[in-house]
Amino acid sequence: MEDKKYFTRVINENEGIIYKVSSLYTNSREDRDDLYQEIIYQLWKSFPTFREQSKISTWLYRVALNTAIYHLKKSKRSISAGFIDKEALSFIEEDHQPEEEQLKLFYAHIDHLGLVEKGIILLYLEGKNHEEIADIVGLTKTNVGTRISRIKDKLKTQINKTN
Amino acid sequence: MELEEMRAEWNKLSKKVEKQEKLTEEVIEKLVKYKYRTGLKRISIPEYVGTLICYVAAAWLIINFGKLEGGIYQFFGAVIILLLFTLPVISLKSVQGMNRLRIATGTYTETIRDFAKQKIRFQKLQKINVSLALGLFVISLPVLANIQGKDVNAIPNFWVFFPMSILLILMFSWWVLSNYNNALREAEEMLKELDH
Repeated sequence: MEDKKYFTRVINENEGIIYKVSSLYTNSREDRDDLYQEIIYQLWKSFPTFREQSKISTWLYRVALNTAIYHLKKSKRSISAGFIDKEALSFIEEDHQPEEEQLKLFYAHIDHLGLVEKGIILLYLEGKNHEEIADIVGLTKTNVGTRISRIKDKLKTQINKTN
Repeated sequence: MELEEMRAEWNKLSKKVEKQEKLTEEVIEKLVKYKYRTGLKRISIPEYVGTLICYVAAAWLIINFGKLEGGIYQFFGAVIILLLFTLPVISLKSVQGMNRLRIATGTYTETIRDFAKQKIRFQKLQKINVSLALGLFVISLPVLANIQGKDVNAIPNFWVFFPMSILLILMFSWWVLSNYNNALREAEEMLKELDH
């Protein structure tokens, strides 16, 4: 009971991360909702292992990003999101405010990046420093720095092309 | 737009998402239960139905093995039984490999590496499966005819329909294999990106 409450609190505090990872790694709404649910399920499954770890954010980003990778094998199939409580997942509803359009444009640019770069850029946008990114991604700090500057160049070229 | 501007916009979105309604304990519990049930179904149904069909066919062939006349037909019969037992094992093994997850323990790059390697292994096993299934089809027709005491040459239009079916299966296999090759290329790209 206590565990359930604690898990719900952890999820509530980090729903935004789960939503952003789900959006970044999928191309359709149905697929995104399915990944969103899968991440929560995988977090619940691995919750006991987190208890032994020190940093909640490292565990959370790891599970979310790793689930997104394994979800790739399903993304080309037509799948049903299955359990969806539309009220509970209300923030997933689309709106057409200018920032949503802007966000779609981000996603489109980030979508052109490779998988490793995608993970790094997400963590960078989330405000993680090189050390934290290195820990979650499993690269050295120097390698993360090199890759971030490479991503910057790539995105700049891409954005210039579309403008 | 620079990456720094992107970061600022990203923060705006984060704030917006944080304001949204939260998932309740009850909804999370329902979601976890649903995912647990569908996760079990996902692995089992198609693979186990296929395995059952192959094993029933193998059992039927073993029962009727005595009816096969001639060394060559008996040899083909034995090969078919062997294939009917082997094909489902290959299929189940490849699917099980893809479902073995290290989601909580591995880092992101380790997961990409694992995923790409599993994908490559899966595609290769599936390619072997398609080729063996084609071989199974080719040799099963004369064996089935022999069990029923018929000569394939005596079956009307056999030499018209048989090559046509092989051609159709070859075309289908070519299409399946080209899809597998595309998936293999994608997996190899993932591995390449890790080393760059």
